[in-house]
Amino acid sequence: MKKMSYVNYLIATVLVLIFLIPVIYIISSSFKPIGELFSPSPTFFPQTFTLDNYTEALSRGNFGRYIFNSFLVAISSTIIAILINTMSGYALAKFRFKGDNIIMLVILSTIMLPLEVIMVPIFSVLRFFGLYNSLWALIIPPAATPTGIFLMRQYLLTIPDEIIQSARIDGASEWRIFRSIILPNAKPAIATLAIFSFMWRWNDYVWPLIAISSPKKYTLQLAIANFTGEFGADYSSILAMSAISMIPMLIVFIIFQRQFVQGTVESGMKG
Amino acid sequence: MTKKEQTYRSYILKQKIVPYLFLVPNLLIFSIFIILPAIIGIYYSFTDMTLFTFDSPNFVGLANYTTLIHDEDFIAALLNTVKLVFATVPIIFVTSLMVAVLLVQPLKAKGLFRAIYYWPVMISAIVVGIIWQWILAGNFGLFNTTLKALGLDSVDTLINPRFAWWSVVFAIVWSRTGYYMIIFVAALLSIPESLYEAAQMDGANRIQKFIHITYPSLKAARLMVFILVTMEIFKTYPLVVTLTGGGPFDATQYTVQYIYEMAFKSYQIGLASAMSVVMLIIVTIFTALNFFVSRRGEDK
Repeated sequence: MKKMSYVNYLIATVLVLIFLIPVIYIISSSFKPIGELFSPSPTFFPQTFTLDNYTEALSRGNFGRYIFNSFLVAISSTIIAILINTMSGYALAKFRFKGDNIIMLVILSTIMLPLEVIMVPIFSVLRFFGLYNSLWALIIPPAATPTGIFLMRQYLLTIPDEIIQSARIDGASEWRIFRSIILPNAKPAIATLAIFSFMWRWNDYVWPLIAISSPKKYTLQLAIANFTGEFGADYSSILAMSAISMIPMLIVFIIFQRQFVQGTVESGMKG
Repeated sequence: MTKKEQTYRSYILKQKIVPYLFLVPNLLIFSIFIILPAIIGIYYSFTDMTLFTFDSPNFVGLANYTTLIHDEDFIAALLNTVKLVFATVPIIFVTSLMVAVLLVQPLKAKGLFRAIYYWPVMISAIVVGIIWQWILAGNFGLFNTTLKALGLDSVDTLINPRFAWWSVVFAIVWSRTGYYMIIFVAALLSIPESLYEAAQMDGANRIQKFIHITYPSLKAARLMVFILVTMEIFKTYPLVVTLTGGGPFDATQYTVQYIYEMAFKSYQIGLASAMSVVMLIIVTIFTALNFFVSRRGEDK
């Protein structure tokens, strides 16, 4: 039995190396001067430590703008997602009404229509509504997610009907009930939805690719991808920005690790 | 009608409308940005729409569908995607299940291990592509430098079609194992301990326990993982943008990239829409197959 556990630790450690080394290598590379980046005998850690790649990307590459856009999109979209998905979850969890099952079915079946399948007509729709090349196109449409609704609905089913009924008897309006009973009581599920929504929007590439054309409105992911294709040589900025793009997720992950695990389990959530 | 009755009636009426009002924002977005595009897409697929058609396009019947059947590059991209599904889905299935089994063994600092294995899930596909491109590409990347340090010859990496193709598989497995691992861990933890104790008394060894208890108990989780991974692999594109660019010689070009370029680089909206419809049908067939196969397993 003892021997077995040594084997477990050995495998666990090897896996740690496989998952971590690539990430550490890209971060350490981002602190290397250009000469070292393309040296014929690269070292794992920088021999001379420099922040040039970062200052260069931010000053000349306009990456400050892209980081700002990414934050703007991810945060606004997440706020909207929390509001509207909780509203829908509330309706589906706590009301019986004509067509409720059909609506639930329609919502869940939209999972079968991922953006990748409808990206061509989406382009026309965005253009028709004047959303093409606007950050709103990255904020509003992706905020409504079937998995978000499902997650909120499942959680809100656990809130006892009595609380809602007694608020109704006290004469509270439905909106009031939503604001002061449903939202505060749904905090754990909202936290899960919030961090997933932030991650989806922060890491998203296909929406920005279809909806955005002018470089001023690029998100970080779109900028990284486009600059890899266009100037294969400007690797110093790309490495620095790749490292930067991981930081918000790392912070969110360290704080909310439990919610991520919980959220993955609860709904097999997919952006 | 008394006043009381009236207020009661208006209350009932309000209660009937309220849930719809709460659903309006979501349903509006779904209708405009998912259902409407899906319908428009099907319509486009029967027309000669291009990116620069501003009037209504001409109806061309099934012309786009006959064109795409004869488009060797599209068929190649489609087959390539199906191959990717067949290669990647079983690998992710096995790796995530094995890592999950490891994580339910008695192990100290379990939470830390789990967090580290999950971490790549949070990195965007674009950056995952950058990471592996930076490690694999060229003679002086970390990969070839390591080979040389071990006294081996350096190899052609991303300029070799075969190597590039398997690099995509590897990068997907590396970045997605943690996600499906979590689903399996949850399923493993919900297997009642008493089953294992009973098997222990019958003298079952670890492998027997896995085959007769663990694996059958994971039925729901297995189906879920199979369906999610399959759909995910069909959507492969961002990773390829930064890892291989679809090359070399289209070796890593998959359906989504082909459709994207048909629409936005060759401007053939009608044809690209027909390709999307074909892709949707294939994804649906694969999902249905997953259900069907798992049903069959149940009957036995």
